[in-house]
Amino acid sequence: MSDNKATYQNAIDIRNLTKNYGKHRGVQDLHLEVAAGDIFGFLGPNGAGKSTTIRCMLGMLRFGQGEIRLLGKDCVGRDRHAEGDHKSSRPGHLMGRQWRELMNQVGYMPSEAAFYPGMKVRDVIRFAARCRQKDCSREADRLCGILEVEGDKRVEELSLGNRKKVSIVCAMQHEPKLLILDEPTSGLDPLMQDAFWGLVSEYNSRGTTCFLSSHVLSEVKQYCRNAAVIREGRLIRADSVENLCRSNLRKVRMWEDGKETAFSHTGTVEELLHRLEGRRLEDLLIEEPSLEEVFMHYFREE
Amino acid sequence: MTLLWHEVRRNGKSLLIWACSVGLLSAGCLLLFQGLEESMGEMSEAFANMGMFATVLGMDKLSIGTMEGFYATEIALLYAIGGAMFAAMTGVALLSKEEEGHTSEFLHTLPLGRAYIVGWKYASLVVLVVSYNALCLAWILLGFAGAGQMPPVKEFACYHGVQLLMHLEVGSVCYLASSLWKRRQTGAALGFAMLLYVADLLCRILPDMEGLKYVTPFYFSNGTDIFVEGRADGGLLLIAGCVILVSVLGAVAVYRRRDLAA
Repeated sequence: MSDNKATYQNAIDIRNLTKNYGKHRGVQDLHLEVAAGDIFGFLGPNGAGKSTTIRCMLGMLRFGQGEIRLLGKDCVGRDRHAEGDHKSSRPGHLMGRQWRELMNQVGYMPSEAAFYPGMKVRDVIRFAARCRQKDCSREADRLCGILEVEGDKRVEELSLGNRKKVSIVCAMQHEPKLLILDEPTSGLDPLMQDAFWGLVSEYNSRGTTCFLSSHVLSEVKQYCRNAAVIREGRLIRADSVENLCRSNLRKVRMWEDGKETAFSHTGTVEELLHRLEGRRLEDLLIEEPSLEEVFMHYFREE
Repeated sequence: MTLLWHEVRRNGKSLLIWACSVGLLSAGCLLLFQGLEESMGEMSEAFANMGMFATVLGMDKLSIGTMEGFYATEIALLYAIGGAMFAAMTGVALLSKEEEGHTSEFLHTLPLGRAYIVGWKYASLVVLVVSYNALCLAWILLGFAGAGQMPPVKEFACYHGVQLLMHLEVGSVCYLASSLWKRRQTGAALGFAMLLYVADLLCRILPDMEGLKYVTPFYFSNGTDIFVEGRADGGLLLIAGCVILVSVLGAVAVYRRRDLAA
């Protein structure tokens, strides 16, 4: 991170992104802004479009509509020569050297890390560094030390968690300005999760923007400042984590004629009172929902 | 260059196995010929009178009873098919293996770019095919030296140069296929190489199918023709060069515009 001073406001700027897989929905008209220096959580159930969005950002998928700017550069966009054809977009308005320069400032960790069988961990890490034409040995050694990565092991001998650790080293060793992490902690033991979040916080304090998709809501609440919720390919809400957690959803438990009934209520207290009007309640308990329940509410909302 | 050596190293074992198998077998046959030379003389007459069979294998043009004839009709066949199969198998795997092995997310998110990846992977195919030819050639020359007879230099050099082009052509077409497929189709690639050989046999036997000579690279790289005429058909060599160029450019165009699986 030789130049940590961002000359752009948003590290990620996605506008009108639409990606379909034939007749199947990918993402629809997605708008997303991630401010430079943020730690941003991207939440959604399986198949919501999180990985599709990430893979469009990285140029692995072409898309029908929209524009994606990473680190202030219009890197991925629609092919303007073929208006209306959903198969016509192409990764890389920035071509060749410019694309490589941009990707040199991005670190990506996939949800399921896979490497070349037969290679030693050390060789995989060196290969990634050499492709970046950068001597990352010092930072790689430091990261391997923190994450307890064994360099002599062969890739096929690694468990999912250990492959994840190698993937973290590959994503961070070049000290990127933007870290894109797809379900980063799945498969890591609690100690390693702690070490991982320590690294994310450290990089973020040095100016790196972190964008991560996750199912683990507690860690999003603990480590992310802002988050977005995606469901069925559409963005449901993007806000600060604090505001997202501040919901008007309430868990209501009531006892009536010796029977307990529970339901969720979204709306004002007045509406709730109106709903309970005429009932002969013996007892009533109104609780704030847990973080999980708030997000489940977003995920399920019609 | 990093990607080139990465691929060469990853295919090194396969290269050694194929090159040593074909090379050793060719050298062994050459050494065997020395001991069978007398009986081969009698056999060559019988082979030369076997009609279509002799035509297909070129025994009507060269005598199998001589070292040169034996090499051009028998060993050249082994060398051509072996090389085409190696090139096809290597070419068809180079791009598709990334998606099949789920390594595409690792490779394609490194700062390389798709055109760069296609370019350097193709360069690794060229290095592997050239290495295969060089290793086989070394074994064959050892075989000739062991047998105490060396082949005619001009014909031998021309034949092996044309063989290299043929292997590159087969490998390039399979490389184009590799840019389209998400899984390595080794069986299809080997089948394709064999089909090209069968096409060569057909166009030599059936006059109606003579047009296949423009399709199959086995035709212009035929050992007997080159050892008899001392040269290969320039027009067909030009077609081969064009096929290679179109295949590489096609692979770049296809791969740059395709969605990549994780």
